[in-house]
Formats: sequence, C-alpha cells, structure tokens
Amino acid sequence: MKSLTLDHTSFWYPATASPALRDVSLDVAQGEIVALVGALGAGASTLLLVAADLAPRVIGGRLAGAVARRDRSGIVLPTPWTQTSGMAFTVWDEVAFGPANLGWPTHEIARQVDRALERLELVPLASRDPVTLSGGELQRVIIAAILAMDPGLVLFDEPAAELDGEGARTLWRLIRLLAKDGKAVLLATSALDALPDVADRVVWLENGAVRAVGTPDLLADVVVCDAGLGTSVATVWRAGGLPEPYPLTVADAVQRWR
Amino acid sequence: MAVSPVLRLDGVSFSYGAVPALAAVSFAIAAGERVALVGRNGAGKSTLVRLVAGLERPDEGAVWVGDWDTRDCVPEQLARRIGSMFQHADQQLFASTVRDDVSFGPRALGVEEREVERRTDHALEDLDLTSHAAHHPYDLPPAFRKLAALAGALALEPTLLVLDEPTVGLDRALRARVTRALLARSAAGVALLVITHDLTFAAESLQRVLVLDRGRLACDERLAGLVGDASRLEPLGLVPPPVAALSAALDLPGRPVRGAEVARELARVARGRLAP
Repeated sequence: MKSLTLDHTSFWYPATASPALRDVSLDVAQGEIVALVGALGAGASTLLLVAADLAPRVIGGRLAGAVARRDRSGIVLPTPWTQTSGMAFTVWDEVAFGPANLGWPTHEIARQVDRALERLELVPLASRDPVTLSGGELQRVIIAAILAMDPGLVLFDEPAAELDGEGARTLWRLIRLLAKDGKAVLLATSALDALPDVADRVVWLENGAVRAVGTPDLLADVVVCDAGLGTSVATVWRAGGLPEPYPLTVADAVQRWR
Repeated sequence: MAVSPVLRLDGVSFSYGAVPALAAVSFAIAAGERVALVGRNGAGKSTLVRLVAGLERPDEGAVWVGDWDTRDCVPEQLARRIGSMFQHADQQLFASTVRDDVSFGPRALGVEEREVERRTDHALEDLDLTSHAAHHPYDLPPAFRKLAALAGALALEPTLLVLDEPTVGLDRALRARVTRALLARSAAGVALLVITHDLTFAAESLQRVLVLDRGRLACDERLAGLVGDASRLEPLGLVPPPVAALSAALDLPGRPVRGAEVARELARVARGRLAP
C-alpha cells in the first residue's frame, strides 16, 4: 500500500522563478525505506517539506502536479534545536507535547511517550530540562517526539547529523524497526555509508529532478561515484583505478579482493 | 629550547551545578598540531571547548592559552589567540553580507583596516567563498553559512583554531574544502582542536586524537592507530570509518586510513598481484 505518492510534482519557493523540485514522480510504500541522496541544494530537503505538507501550505510557494498522502506524517528536521516546543521543562513533557495536541486520552499519550523514550534510549534523561541536553541528545528527543505521535509516514532530514557513531547506529536500527512495523520512511542523508544496510531504495536527486532510482547498489555506480555520492569503499576503489563493478561495502571489497 | 604549547590543560575539572562534566583533564597541543576531540554525546566535548574559549572557568585546574591563564582573561582577549566555531555556528551570523561577517572578528580586535581586508580575502579564498562574499548569509544554504562561520574564525588568524563539529550538514565536496583549508592553516603553524563525530573527516584532516569518556580523558594517541582498530573504538562508542576498516580488512601495508593513501595502496598491491 502506497503511503506517499508524488506524481509529476514541481515546487517553487516564494519569489523564485526556477523550481526547487522538477517533475518528480516517486512513491513510498508502507514498510519501505526510501533514501534521497544528492549534492547540497539538489532538492532532498524540499521534497521532504512537500511530503510533510509544509510546502507550500505553511512556507508558501507554488506546487504543480499531485501529492497523495495516505497516512499522517511526521518530519524530523535537520536542526533539532529549532524543533522543540519551548513549552516543556522535562524531556518527558517535550515528547508528550505532540500527542497531547492530537487530543489523545492521557493513558494513550503516556503509553506512546514511554515507548518512544525507550526506543531512543532516553529513559534516563526523562526528567532533564531539554535546554540542558547536548546536540545529539536533543536530536534523539525530537525523533522520540515525532514517533510518539505514531505517524504512518516518517520523514527524516539528516537524522544522524548530530549523533555519535553509536547513536547513529542505534538510529539506523530503529529506522529499520519502524519499517518492520509497517511505517513508510523517507529520509534525506549525506551518511551514504549507512545506506546499504538501511535503505530499500535510493533516489538520486540532481537540480531538483530525479536522476536515478535503484537499490543501494546504485551507490557503487561509476557515474554516482563521479558525482561524489558513492559509498566510501566504492569511491576509494575507483580512486585506486581498480576494475568495475565497484564494491559497495567493506564486506563486498573483501570478497572481491580474494 | 622547549617551545611552549599553544594550549595546555592542567587537571581541569568542571561541573554544571551538581552535574559533573569534566574530571582532571590534562593535555597540551603544540603549534601546527592537528588534534581531534571525540567521544559520545554528552562526554564533555563542547564543555571543554567552552573552557578553552574562556566562556567558562575551570572549577579546578587551569587552562593555558600560550602563556595566558584563562582565569585572568575575558573571551575577547582570548580571541586574539583562539578562533572558535561553536555548534550551530550557521545560526550565529549577523552581518548583512558574508564579507562583513567574516571581517567582523579582526575588525573588532582593532586590526588595521588594510590587514582586515587581507585576512578576509584570504579566509574567503581558503574556503572558496569569494563568489558569495556579497551575499546575505541567510540567502545561503545552512552549509554555506557554516563555511562562512569557519571563514570568520580563520580571519582572526589565531594560533589555535577550536572547531565544534565543523562538518555537520556538509556534503563530501564541502568537507573536502574544509580539510584543504585546515591543512593549509596547520602547515602555516596554526594548531587545530576539532570536535567531531565524523571519523572519516578526522582521518583525512587530523593526526592525533583525544577521546573523552564521561568527562575523563580516555585516550591521547595517533589518530591513524585508533581509527584502524575496531576492537578499541567499540567500547568508546565509536564506529570505524569504512576506509580505515577496508584498510584493516585487506591488511594493506602500513594500514593507511586516508582515502588517497588507501587508493594508492590498493592500486599498488593489485598491480603486484598481476605481475608475473
């Protein structure tokens, strides 16, 4: 079942002549993880804003084509410190803010908040004031706050940016679990090396348009490597002048090296 | 004659009220050294940077910036020796052009106007920002604002650059720009202390690593040795960068960790295998 469908979608920011998204057709199914990759300014963040129904509804601009959403969506922005409610003095209350605004009964709010805190390993921080947290801790709080609203479509913009290595690994595992629970996940990331283990499909955006779609193997493609979007292993393999096909991961490389 | 270090921490401890952040941390950094500061979220890295920049004072011990004890200095004075970039620096720009923002620091230090211009040009060029000099910072994407903030720190022409997560939000091409600029400054004698979770960037740019673990200094050693050793990274909450993991998995001679060196070794070993 499709959770999100973009059909020949273009989008223009307010007061701009050229579109930030050009004729994008893309869908994300329930239980699927789709990763958007591209150079800075390629349109990945814009696509997430459109998917979240924030563009043009909240930020203005103009949309052409069709966007169909089956599920309520939640978006995790790349700047967690801009996404706090500013009205909660504990992490627990911060995470409860969204569900409370959905008008749920108290016991349901508590159930969802406790579950989200557990999943993000935030239980020990539940009574801390959000303003005292480190960047990585706050990023996890925001992710918990979005998940506590139980969205069917989860949108992540650079979700691992503030996280340490272990925190990033935990997050990628959690994203796989979300998909297993049947949620549709659309994410934009520059953490290309994480994608072979995370994404079902990879979408390469260039100048606002879809340049290629494929499995994560796309990240070992010659053209993708030349665009600076290959995995580290594929990129270094190519730089060494070794023959194609390039290995995607360390494990692939070890196999090819034998 | 021993050269005095650019930065020295002597048994530094610091707490936020009852919450301890750093405990008895000691190390020194020499001119031109390139040092990574790594550790889990909440390990005390950003606190350490705030102490070095003089925004906090140690509860115990001392922070020396050259021959200045930070307890006797205000941050404005320390800015003559330290260029800092804090987390979320892309939100801390305030001038109406990138150029004005970058030149603000040296101008505020009372540097002579022609020298301000020279330093600003140099910093903008180092990060390929010259073509954005006349733009309003908030007309640029966050990644470019971050580069502008870094240019502002470079324009101070300090003896020590202290950078908190300089590559977050940058793509590979922009990370390479930062690496290039930092290597050039370090070659000219500037010491670097860089907080980063990005061990790939660290392996490309830096040579020594300090690991903070719950406020204590758990490691102080050559970066290439640590990033190539998954068994030691794991307990520190760190994940080996793929290029270093590749080098280790294929047992490349010398176990290089920088991309260009690994590529060279791959090519050399592969050629050797083909030779009769």
